[in-house]
Amino acid sequence: MKMEDVSLSSMDNSKMEGFAQEILSDLVEDACLGLCFEVHRAVKQGYFFLDDTDQESMKDFEIVDQPGVDIFGQVYNQWKNKECVCPNCSRSIAASRFAPHLEKCLGMGRNSSRIANRRIASGNNTNKSESDQEDNDDVNDNDWSYGAEKKAKKRKSDKNPNSPRRSKSMKHKNGRLKRRNELEKISTSKKAEPQSAPTHYVIVMDQW
Amino acid sequence: MSKESQMRAAINQKLIEMGERERLKELLRAKLIECGWRDQLKALCKEVIKEKGIENVTVEDLVAGVTPKGRALVPDSVKKELLQRIRAFLAQHST
Repeated sequence: MKMEDVSLSSMDNSKMEGFAQEILSDLVEDACLGLCFEVHRAVKQGYFFLDDTDQESMKDFEIVDQPGVDIFGQVYNQWKNKECVCPNCSRSIAASRFAPHLEKCLGMGRNSSRIANRRIASGNNTNKSESDQEDNDDVNDNDWSYGAEKKAKKRKSDKNPNSPRRSKSMKHKNGRLKRRNELEKISTSKKAEPQSAPTHYVIVMDQW
Repeated sequence: MSKESQMRAAINQKLIEMGERERLKELLRAKLIECGWRDQLKALCKEVIKEKGIENVTVEDLVAGVTPKGRALVPDSVKKELLQRIRAFLAQHST
């Protein structure tokens, strides 16, 4: 029994090996055929020879491997030492500093607005004592921009939670100011007004 | 003999059903591209095309001209790796 088993398994092994080789050769043939089909289609559709160029063009665009020059043959350090004339202030600026200089010179770009804001803030802090005698407008201006950054930040945080409400209440105020005035005339007690503000609203809603 | 062919058929079926044949095909394809076999064969195809002319070349021309060399050109390492996987599969599923 054992002997048979051993011989069976050994036979199976060599058969298995042959079988594995067969499977492999099937797979390789599949790969070859696949390639032939692809190539044939490419030839008949006309895109097989697309990546071939003539020798001359190949030489023209060959990769350049010299020092001091990039792979296209262009020198890449040329523009470092050149100087440009700024169209705004007519100064001669080095090429590598030209872009940042233009940003500040023209007053555009992220940094220039920050610098400007800072200047305004610090400028008004020193100017406030001087402008007291001037019109109310200027005083209002000072209020607006005094501690501009702080107020700006505060307003931003206030804006989000309150702005929809504010606009709503403004609408309500504008629309209902008339009604409120009418109601004021109708209602005799003035003291009741602030206390019964909610009831006022209720009345208005009913009438709506 | 018939038992053997039955067994072979059964294993072949398993190979396909379990998706292993597809995986092996993909693996073979990737390996062949990696080792440059595909480009070599494409060059051979070009020769056949130039010989027969673009208008007249048929699939049979290409297959006949390219497949025998294609088989021979498969590198041994690729063959070994695939045989290993196939044998493993057979060992697992031959009972």
